[in-house]
Amino acid sequence: MSLRGARQPSLADNARSSPDPELIRRLANGELDALGALYDRYQAPLRRFIARSSGNSADVDDLLHATFLAAVASAARYDGRASCRPWLVGIAAQLLRRRRQTFGRLLAMLSVLKGTTQTFRDPRPELQARTDVARALAGLSAAKRMTLLMAEVEGMSCSEIATALEVPIGTVWTRLHAARRELRQTLCGADE
Amino acid sequence: MNKLACPRLFEAEALRDGRLVGAERLSFLRHLDSCARCSREVVELQTLADRLCNSGAEADADELHARRERTRLLAAFDAKLAPPERTLAARAWLACAAAASLLVLSFFMYFRARSVAAPDTERAVVVHADGSASWSRQSEGPVEKILLERGALSIHVDHARERRRLLVVLPDGELEDIGTTFTVSAEAGRTTRVSVVSGSVVVRIRGQAPLALRAGDTWRPSQAAGVSTCPNCEPPPAAGATSAAIIPPSAAPASPLSSTRVQGARTAVTPSDRRASPAASAEGHEPTPSLDFRAAMMLLDSGDNGAAAARFSSFLNAHPRDARCEDAAYLRVIALQRTGDVGSMREAASRYLRQYPNGFRRAEVAALAR
Repeated sequence: MSLRGARQPSLADNARSSPDPELIRRLANGELDALGALYDRYQAPLRRFIARSSGNSADVDDLLHATFLAAVASAARYDGRASCRPWLVGIAAQLLRRRRQTFGRLLAMLSVLKGTTQTFRDPRPELQARTDVARALAGLSAAKRMTLLMAEVEGMSCSEIATALEVPIGTVWTRLHAARRELRQTLCGADE
Repeated sequence: MNKLACPRLFEAEALRDGRLVGAERLSFLRHLDSCARCSREVVELQTLADRLCNSGAEADADELHARRERTRLLAAFDAKLAPPERTLAARAWLACAAAASLLVLSFFMYFRARSVAAPDTERAVVVHADGSASWSRQSEGPVEKILLERGALSIHVDHARERRRLLVVLPDGELEDIGTTFTVSAEAGRTTRVSVVSGSVVVRIRGQAPLALRAGDTWRPSQAAGVSTCPNCEPPPAAGATSAAIIPPSAAPASPLSSTRVQGARTAVTPSDRRASPAASAEGHEPTPSLDFRAAMMLLDSGDNGAAAARFSSFLNAHPRDARCEDAAYLRVIALQRTGDVGSMREAASRYLRQYPNGFRRAEVAALAR
């Protein structure tokens, strides 16, 4: 399949009007216009989720690409739900989690090499936050922030979040409660 | 916030997270109608969620950036869909690069081998010429040729490094080296002298039978020198018996004999040597060992190396106590080397080294055995 195929109006229009399960099925068959339609439909919320979860806008484009390409790879295993947005968010959350773990291992190794026990905290999210909510969100730990965003912004159920993050559902509840409490405390202080 | 105002306040968050189901959910929903604190908590939680949803717009990409990223994603997907063509192209390029590398490497190895082989040959065959000598040198495949027109050449051949045959082309014949140091002179279109310092050579003068000369032997045309006996040398056949003479370097002219052989510089002369002397040959009672050895030498000289090797083997088996056994064993190695049968040659060389650990040619044979 070539790029020329994606530019054909009829195929593009057809893809744009297709429901998510149909798009994913065609994506599993390697149809390029299905990926284009899926991108058009979900790139904005996914980009926002990734940007706010990672707190680093420099990686957003690459993580977004990786999310859609991973979706192509696992399209054949899609469960057929009406909206694939939680599924895509789950894939992005997995990529973010692996990236965070890799980054953490690198920092740990550098700390060992340096001979210090520095507890590094990336200051970029807080520096880049332009609103009170964004600043408060950036103050949360990455795990709590991602769990809260998946629940409150993406509308995922706790069981879906637990599955996506590969953690027990009790952990999801605990993270949500702690995240809300910290966020409200921060916002109350900011409002006062 | 005073969270202790209502004991069921925590259920507001549980309701939002979907932890309340069935009767508990209905009960809490009824409670909300009567509890202002819990109702406010539910509203605050919803407000927090709304603020979260409404924030984050700063992360949105502009239209142009989104289109550019879309194109990049589709191109990456397209590349993943069509790897075989690119793989084939990459393989073709790799094959071309590998072939080119192989070609360059082959040329490099070829020229390197040539450049290395040439100095080895130069070092392995050392030629010293007198002032009046006129000679030239050329390589013809497995044969290194030295063409002597006139004058004297002193030649040393190191067979440990030079595996090719060395042939000295004389005005009236040729001389083949079998691993030695020797001097050869020619004047007026004739070979005038061949003197062997070490090893042995075979002299082939036109119209005469080949002659095998060993260390200490000197050959001159019969008109130029006297004749004496040499038990270590092979006489030519009867046709050329009177055409040349072999004299020792230190020997005074001895009484002429019918034979062309002269006594060499060797001091140890065994009874078998005496039996193989040309005198006996002249008398027509040449013993069998000499005939066998001469036959093997003739085969070797004629270039029938396989038959020569077999004949030398027969000689060694038939006459294990003959004084020429060491020579025969050595010449068998040489014959096998010329046939190109490396395995048999090494086996014969090993056998020589076992039988003659202090032999005259142990260094050369050891090199060949390796």
